Amino acid sequence: MYELENINIEGQVVTFIPFGDIVGYLTPYTAILFIFAAVFTIIALISKPEKQVDIAFGGDAYYTKNVSVKQMRFQRFMAAACGLATMGGVLSGDVFNFTLFTAMVGITNIGIVASIKNRHILDNAYEYGILAMVGTLPLFAGAAIIVATTGTLSMWILFTPLVTVPLVAKLLLVIGVLAEGMAPVYVAKAEITRAPGAPFILMVHVSSLVLFLRVIEIVISM
Amino acid sequence: MILSFTDDYSFGLLIGFVCILIAFFAMMKETDDLHRLLLTDVIEIIALVIIALIGTDLAEALILPGLVVGIAEILALAEIYIEKEGLVKTPENFLKIEIMDTAPGILSAIMLIYGVILSGFTGGAVAGLGLLFYFLCRGSQKKTQILETISGYAWVCWVVAFIVFMTIPQYWFFAVMLAGTGIFAKVAAKMTIVGTMRGNRDV
Amino acid sequence: MSIIRKVSKILQNQNNLVRVYSLLVIFVIIIGIATLPLISYNENQLYPKSVDMKSPLNPYDRGGEPFEKAEVKAQYPENSRYLGYVTAYLTPFSLFISYNTLYAGTTIVSHPGGIIDEILYNTRGLDTIIETSILFIAFAIAMFLFRRNEKE
Repeated sequence: MYELENINIEGQVVTFIPFGDIVGYLTPYTAILFIFAAVFTIIALISKPEKQVDIAFGGDAYYTKNVSVKQMRFQRFMAAACGLATMGGVLSGDVFNFTLFTAMVGITNIGIVASIKNRHILDNAYEYGILAMVGTLPLFAGAAIIVATTGTLSMWILFTPLVTVPLVAKLLLVIGVLAEGMAPVYVAKAEITRAPGAPFILMVHVSSLVLFLRVIEIVISM
Repeated sequence: MILSFTDDYSFGLLIGFVCILIAFFAMMKETDDLHRLLLTDVIEIIALVIIALIGTDLAEALILPGLVVGIAEILALAEIYIEKEGLVKTPENFLKIEIMDTAPGILSAIMLIYGVILSGFTGGAVAGLGLLFYFLCRGSQKKTQILETISGYAWVCWVVAFIVFMTIPQYWFFAVMLAGTGIFAKVAAKMTIVGTMRGNRDV
Repeated sequence: MSIIRKVSKILQNQNNLVRVYSLLVIFVIIIGIATLPLISYNENQLYPKSVDMKSPLNPYDRGGEPFEKAEVKAQYPENSRYLGYVTAYLTPFSLFISYNTLYAGTTIVSHPGGIIDEILYNTRGLDTIIETSILFIAFAIAMFLFRRNEKE
């Protein structure tokens, strides 16, 4: 029923899931990303939070940072939501739907980080939160320009060679994902990874990596 | 340079682009954290403008998610801002006038009923305002937890409606009603929670 | 100082993050303005909008009578065969308003099945599912932070 015409990058469609106008699909390329995200979500779900140890210099004193059950639960919930959103973004066959999944990844990332009660980390979480919020403009603007100029949002049609997508829309999509997934912004990430709760923080990295690989595939195929 | 526009859309897009330039320039220059939070709202609205330029019914359907994402993120960020700045001071004296002792019951009942008649998104907002007024006057401690539960169930309603639409479309009428109820309860509950979230015993 | 050190000195301060990103967006938008003549509106849109000033549901008249099928141009009509029915449905109350006044549409009463519900719930239902999930997560974050302060 549905066929991808441009199979240079991702190969033939393995399966598709129709939801009304939004028809999601899996190709060998996206299937790998999907499994990658799924594995890390499961790791985040079953693992216990790491407990950091601070050692005071010049003495034998050291103290462990405590992670409360409440905070652990909250972070685990956010990590699971982040993993699901990432998987959704990988599956999605519709540009606007993809941007929404990306926005969801952005807000769950804020949640994972913001649950830690430390002024230094909260400062960074705020900085990143502003970035994620600002990033929704390029995302939605990119999707909107695609609809207006091509008349469709479905990737099945956008990937055909007949449809040309304006360069600016593609660029906007890419920089939108940059902000939401925080892919290249390792400055802020370094600060964030200092926070306790390792397996959950991991999801921030996984989601940004997977979403970035996906958006590059979309932009090149269009 | 004389720009020649192929259609109205390009002209609108140019204006949108100029707005984006101004907004991001402001974002670049601003250093105060609170002002930057306010500027993000400006940026969200320009995103909606760009979506609205499409000018079809589809655009209207896309604006709602866009708007909600903006509201949701600003809510979470504002809470982070409060947390990081340690702003937990509770208001000392709260507005006390006679009408707040006598009116809440009847006024919120009227608004609730009117909201049910309107139904859907608008109805939810009206009913939410009614509930908000009630809690504002009567005080609420544990009631917000009930509201949270309601909004959770509303979300489930919506998801069930979606599943019905996708799997058994011949029952579309049931799904429409379910989604309508879901959005009504969700908007009403969320509005009330936002209004009452102030960390005070009275409000 | 070498150029790399200069750049990394700017990037290592997380307070410059948004500033650098704003520059990036401004750069892309300038490209957008430069290529604006190449962008043109596609007239062949989904869910086209027409305004009929005589209709009581103006500007939300999408055609069709309740429990009859209206004509809607969806992306994949075969995936949602009952779309037209959802479009045409009005609650009895809004039907009453639309029979008696010309201004039912101006109240933007989004009755179930009223305004753009068939796109919101039906064909693009997945979008609204994510949208509500985003709101749900934002509330979870806000309530978590709020409650934590409350306890201590």
